[in-house]
This record gives sequence, C-alpha cells and structure tokens, in this order.
Amino acid sequence: MMSQHFKNAVVDTALVGSVVLLLMFFYAPILTLVAFSFTSSRVLTFPIDGFSLQWYGELIRKPDFFPAVINSATVAAVSTLFASVLGTAGAIAWIRYQFRFQNLFRVVTFAPLLFPQLLLGVVMLLWFSVLGNWLNFSTGLVTVIIGHVVYITPFALVIVAVQVYGFDETLEDAARDAGASRWEVFREVTFPLLWPGIFSAAIFAFLLSWGNFYVSYSLSGTARTLPVFVYSGIAVGSSPIYPALATLNFVPALLLVGLAEFLRRRALKRQSTALSTS
Amino acid sequence: MATPIIDASHIIKDYGRVRALHGVSLEVGAGEFVALVGPSGCGKTTLLKILAGFEETSEGRLEIEGKDMRGVPAASRPTRMVFQKLALFPHKTVAQNIGFPLKLQRVGKAEIDRRVVSMLELMHLNLDYLDRFPAQLSGGEQQRVALARALISQPGVLLLDEPMSALDAKLKKSLQTELKKLHRELGTSFVLVTHDLEEAMMLADRICVMRAGRVVQIGTPTDIYYRPANMFVAGFIGETNFLPVDVSGALDGGLAVGSPLVAGEPAVMEAGNVSEFLGEGNKALLIRPESIGFLKGEPGPGHWMLTGVVDEYFLKGSTTQYRIRVAGLEAPVVMDLPGSFELPAEVGQEVRIGFEPARAFLLSE
Amino acid sequence: MKSQSKTWNDPILVAAVAPLAIVMLVFFLIPLAMTILLTFQTTQYYRLQWTWDLKIWTEIFSKPHYWTIMLRTVGMALVCVVISILIAFPTAYALTTRLKTYSAQIQILIIFAFLTDAVLKTFGWILVLDRQGVANWLLSYLGLGPEAMDILFTPTGTMIGMVYNLAVYPMFTIYLSLARIDRDLVLASYDAGASRIRTFFEVTLPLSRPGLYSGAVLVFVLSLGAFLEPKVLGGGTSPLASELIRQSFETRVNWPLGAALTIVLIAIGALTLALAAAFVFRRTPAARRELA
Repeated sequence: MMSQHFKNAVVDTALVGSVVLLLMFFYAPILTLVAFSFTSSRVLTFPIDGFSLQWYGELIRKPDFFPAVINSATVAAVSTLFASVLGTAGAIAWIRYQFRFQNLFRVVTFAPLLFPQLLLGVVMLLWFSVLGNWLNFSTGLVTVIIGHVVYITPFALVIVAVQVYGFDETLEDAARDAGASRWEVFREVTFPLLWPGIFSAAIFAFLLSWGNFYVSYSLSGTARTLPVFVYSGIAVGSSPIYPALATLNFVPALLLVGLAEFLRRRALKRQSTALSTS
Repeated sequence: MATPIIDASHIIKDYGRVRALHGVSLEVGAGEFVALVGPSGCGKTTLLKILAGFEETSEGRLEIEGKDMRGVPAASRPTRMVFQKLALFPHKTVAQNIGFPLKLQRVGKAEIDRRVVSMLELMHLNLDYLDRFPAQLSGGEQQRVALARALISQPGVLLLDEPMSALDAKLKKSLQTELKKLHRELGTSFVLVTHDLEEAMMLADRICVMRAGRVVQIGTPTDIYYRPANMFVAGFIGETNFLPVDVSGALDGGLAVGSPLVAGEPAVMEAGNVSEFLGEGNKALLIRPESIGFLKGEPGPGHWMLTGVVDEYFLKGSTTQYRIRVAGLEAPVVMDLPGSFELPAEVGQEVRIGFEPARAFLLSE
Repeated sequence: MKSQSKTWNDPILVAAVAPLAIVMLVFFLIPLAMTILLTFQTTQYYRLQWTWDLKIWTEIFSKPHYWTIMLRTVGMALVCVVISILIAFPTAYALTTRLKTYSAQIQILIIFAFLTDAVLKTFGWILVLDRQGVANWLLSYLGLGPEAMDILFTPTGTMIGMVYNLAVYPMFTIYLSLARIDRDLVLASYDAGASRIRTFFEVTLPLSRPGLYSGAVLVFVLSLGAFLEPKVLGGGTSPLASELIRQSFETRVNWPLGAALTIVLIAIGALTLALAAAFVFRRTPAARRELA
C-alpha cells in the first residue's frame, strides 16, 4: 500500500513531467532550427559542424528574400489593422448587444476559425478567379490580405471578446454620471479598458498573418510572402538559410507575444481586484 | 417644505409589460437626507436611476432644482451618484478618478489638483494615495474615493446606491458616522438607497419605505419606528411583536381594544382614523421588543400580561434577548432586556411577561 | 454582466455588425456557395463550361480511389484527435493545478510556438526526424540502439506534424473548461472522503467535458485540411485529401473536381460539428448556457 504522500508525489511528478515534455515537443523543431542556423556546413546533419554566421549572409543576398519580407510585412500590417478593427466591433456586437439574427452572426463570424485553412484558401481562390474573370483582375497581395482578414478576424474577435466580457458597464454609467459625453465615455473609459485586449489581438493577428502559409499559398498568385518563399525553397532542396530565416523570425515575435500577454494580464488583474475588493 | 430640490410626482416606470413603479411621488428638500428603503425588487433602485438620469420615466414629472428633467441626460443633471460596486475606473489613479468630473468640465489642471487634494483631506484619505490605482486600496478607502469623485463637482444632490452593502460591520459603522458628518458639513441633499433599515434610521432625516413599486410610508425615523403605517412597515423595521387584538368599539375618541390571550382590562387606544379599525380584517398591536419585560407578581393597572415558556435566549452584550413561546401565538414573543450579570430566567422556565398597551401601536392589515 | 437589448435602429450596433457581416458574406459565404455551384460545371480543354451537370458527382461516387484517400484522411484525423487530447489534457490539468503559478508564462511559451510560421516549424521537424537528424543522434547518444529510426517520409512523420500543429487547440479549450471549475467542488469531493484520483474522475473530468469535446472537434475538423505535414513530412507517399484537391486544381486544372472534393471534405467536417454540437448540448446544459 503506497502512502498518500508518495502517491501525491507521483502524481505531481507526472503532471510537471508532462508539461516539460510538451514544451520540449513544441520547441524541438524551433530550437533545432536555431541550432542549425549557426552551422558552418551546407549539409544539415546533427551535430552541426562548427559555428558560423555565413547562412545569414547568404539569406540576405538571396534576391527574392527582401521582396518576400516586404510583401509579408505589408500583408501582415494591413490585415492586422482590418482584423483588429473588425474583431473589436464584432466582439462588442457579440457580447454587449442582443439583436435579431445574433446567433447567425456569431456562427458566421466564428466559422472561419473552424475551417481548415487550405479549404478556406481554395474556396476563396475559386471565388476570386470567377470574380477576376468578370472584373478582369488576378490574384495578388490584395486577395491575400482579404483572405488573411477572413481567417484572422475570428481569432481577434475571440481575444477582444474576453476583454469585453470582463468589462463592467457601470463604469460607463459612472463616466456618464460624472458628465461625460458619448465620445468622452468611449475615449476615457471604454477604449482604455478594452485596449489591452485589442492590443494583444493585434499582436496575435500580426503573427498569424506573418506566418500564414495556407491562405497565402492559395491566394498570392505570383506574389510571394515569406512562408511561400520558404515552402517553394524547401520543395526544391533544403539549405541552412531557412534555419537562419527562422531564427531571425523568432526573436521579435517572442518579444511581441510576451509584451502583449503582459499588458493584457496586468489589465485583467487590475480590473478584477478593483471589483472583488469593493 | 420651502422649495424642494427634487420634486418627483406620480412617476410610473414600465419595463416592457412589467410595471416597476406605480406612480411614486417624492420630495426632497434642499440639504435633506432621505433614505429609500424596501426589500429587493421594491423599485428603490429604479427610482434612484430615474433621479440620476440612467432611466427615463414612462409617465409622471420629475423636477430637479426647479427644472423639468425630461430628456436631460445623466451628464447634464445636477446629481452625482455613488454606485453600489463603486465603479472606480481601474485604469485611472485615485487622483484621476476624483478629478474626472472636473476634467470633463474643462477645469484647469492646477485647479483640479488643488480641489482633488482638498477632497482627499475632507475624506481623511492619505495624500500618498493620489498616484495609486483603486485596486491598491482597501474597501473602505475605495468607498471614500468614490464619494470624493461624486462630491468634487459640488452636485446639488448626491445619490447613493447601497454603497456600504459589501463592507464588514465595523467598517460600515465608521463610514456611516462619517457620511452623516459629511452631510452636515456640506449641506448637500443626499438620497440613499438601502435595504438596511437600521442604516436608514441612523442617517436619514426622512425615510421613504417602498414596496412593490409603491411608496408605503414617508416619515421621520421616529414616525416609521413607533408609528408605522401598517404591518409591512412595522415588520420591516427590525424585530417586532404582533399581538392579534379585537376592537370592540369606539370609546372616548379612541378605540376599545382587548385580546383573549392576555390578562388585563381592555385598553383605550388612540388611532388616527377610527373608522379604519372598526371594519372586518385583522388588527394587531405592535409591541417593540424593548417595551416588554418580565413580571414579578400581578400586573399593575394599565398593564397587560401574557404567560409563556422561555424558548431561547441570546446574550447580545448591552442587551439580552429572550424569546418566549406563548400559547395561541405563532411566533415567539421577542423581548430585549438590559444586560445584567444574572439571567432572569432559564430555557424551559414558565414566565409571566407584561407590557403597557399605551406603549404599543395599533395596526390594521 | 447585463446585456443591452437593442433593436436595429441603434447606429452603434449597425456600425459594429455591418462591416464584419459584409466581409464574411462577400468573402466567405458567397465563395462557399460559389464552390457548391462549381461542382455542377464541367471543363473542356482546361476551360470552365457553365452548365448544369452531375458528371463530377457521379465520377466522385464511382471512383474508389477518392474514397480510399478520404477514408485515410478521416482515419488520420481520428488518430490525431486521440493523440492530441492525450497530450493536451495533462498539460491543461497541470496548468490549472500544480503549475498554476507559472501558468501565464507557460501559456505564453505555447502561444508563441503556435504562432510561429508553420512552414518553418515543419521544416524544423525534417531536421529533427531525418536519418542524420537530432532525434536519431539523441537516441544513439543515449545508447538506445545503433540503427536509426526512419520516421521521416512515413505516415508517422505526417502524424507527428499534425499533432504538433493542432494539439494547441484542445490544450486551450480544456484549460478554459478546467479553469472555470469551482475549486470548492474539488474540495467538497476531498471533504467527502474521495482521493485525489477519484476526485479527478468523479468531478474534474466530467466538468471538463465541454472543453474536451470542443477541442476534439476542432482538431478533427482542422486536421481534415492537413497539407503541409503529409507533403513535407510524409514525403507524399500516402497522400491525404488536401493533396488530391491541390492536384485537381494545379495538375489537372479540373476546377469542378477540386470544388467537389472540397465540398465533400467540408461536409464531413460540418457533419461532425453538428453531431458534436448536438451531443454536447444534450449532455451538458452548462455548455448551452455558456453559448447563450
């Protein structure tokens, strides 16, 4: 018969162990990429042969690298703007209001999240091709942006909705009571309190768009974003420039994610303690 | 009353098909402290929201400072509100919270700072708190900040929506004391919504008791306590005893009242409206717990006596409460005796208790 | 929190609803309808002919080749669901109990891994699983067998990639369900004399069902569209439905066929969703209240 203490220790170890294993699983390819980016050999075998930064130079010298970066940045910036604004408006409509066809609205605005991205891309590609035939245009960055907005907005909506859900509406009453006009209520109370959610939704949207392959692959036509650039590269043959590219990708992304989460949690905490102690 | 600062007459409020207020009229004088009391769902909070401008009236007329309030939004009314959950802005510091109404009025920065500091002093809040966030303050301190925010723009009327309901008993007492002092110092009219009648009695000049969307009684705390309009009001205010009585007729401008349960002569009781008590319907004597005591020996002249068995007693410190079971009465008789070293009776003991009908109050249902 | 009841004549509500509704209508619902419409067209010499024809559908239903691949896709999706849930649950549970203090930091790490470019991550797996990759190096370094594992370019490789890319979803849905469980319920179970393990099966697991179901459904539906993993890690040896769809568009330029295969896949997903929704709704009234 095992003692209770021993049993608890086993359960705890199993739990902590499972989290550690999961994190190792999630980071195995990422850390491997980082390691390989510093290899001095052209062949991607482990352990790597010596340290060098030559592949970063190689990557930068590749002629279609910078155009892909610029395309990705443009697409991500514009998609983020649209997804955040639409997502915020949608979240308010989801949570703060009750209206006819609200459930239909919820289903339709959430559905792209449940859609395999490849199929979403295909379905939109068919539509743009038909539309393009009629209106005489072809797919390119604009269609990629539209595709990203459709795919990413539901994510942004859910993140902002959490913030809207935690929002205490009497704060708006209090502002009105203090003499605020409709616009002042929004500027002084509603927006600042929703801002952390909107901000982290925007970060999330940006990174989702930046790293998106499926939708871009279907809708980019001849234009290339970074993931498409990588995909067509590794389809031909692997090279250490892709690990180098991956490493360049991680650092700013990690900082952004950390910052967004920090701001969002701080604001939620502030709000909840303010309510619970009163 | 000279010119009331709030003059609400026949206010009706419907939410869809549900009528929340059935023609409520209320006047609040300048500098007066009025408490709206009643069980939850009685419409007191709805009435307060109508005064504040968060709800429109369905029918009836509301004037504040002599102006019709129809269509006037909350922001433009001379009222300020302290919310039940305080509604302090979590993203603004204490100073920004308190100064917010002045900022909206485009008051200069220096002037805002000066007045915020003087509000903090008035509320006995530490000046170090200026740059803190509400979440970093205790419940009582948050309360004071909310009060300061509501008072800084010197409103004509301060509306308080059960602001102390979430505080512990001790903190509540001290804030109640301060609120009363504040009211005396500022001379602003206060309207307080509360379900706690004791709180209303402590603080208010007049109490308005509401039930199911109607005003049941408006009067001073003494009126409400000793001369309640009916059994609802009487029962709402603390623990009390009802003794069913028979009214045998009018006598000497009063009413002859007796009860089969008591030993003692029928008493002659005063009543405002004699005819109200002569018809059918239940009548009862309202006897406050502090008006009853144990009897040693026979009841004196003008006293009524009941016999019963001690059910339970509670030591409350300054008083001792006894509950006596009396045959023929549904609820035990509650008596509050001054506290003493020796207990006058044990549980299960048969006792005689007595009171003077003159100190009781006759009610009809 | 109270909801404001509003009618359509509130301009703010219209401003909140209309733009998103229009975007979703024009770029999501209409394309979907368009795709259905396309399945009834035909192609001649790689050009689309606008007709009304059931040719594609008869072709799809008569060729077992398509159904083999569809079945394989569904099978892979089911395996992926089971593995993902098995991986996700302990972590989600640990984040709400033992590791609650670090839950925020761990979640950021997971979110970050999730948000990283899928193509790069999948490429990273090649480097891990390759004959001369990290995994095999590690195995021989630990002395666990001299012969290298051949995982890359097999269905196992595909599965690792799919689980890797999708396990995050059930982790979060289960986490949200678990985090919402009133701690007092668990304490009440201990108080009633139940052991930790008993409590888990009697209280925690049943209450986490909504998250479990929704996570499982998400993984299933999303894995129907897996494309990168079978292509890059599976080496194209046993193609899944997505590859079939890609081929009909790119290689065969047969749009109606691609559209029809897409619709079949969407139909499978939608059916699963509908069944799951009905099941969860019936089993847990709490889920219904949550959605309402």
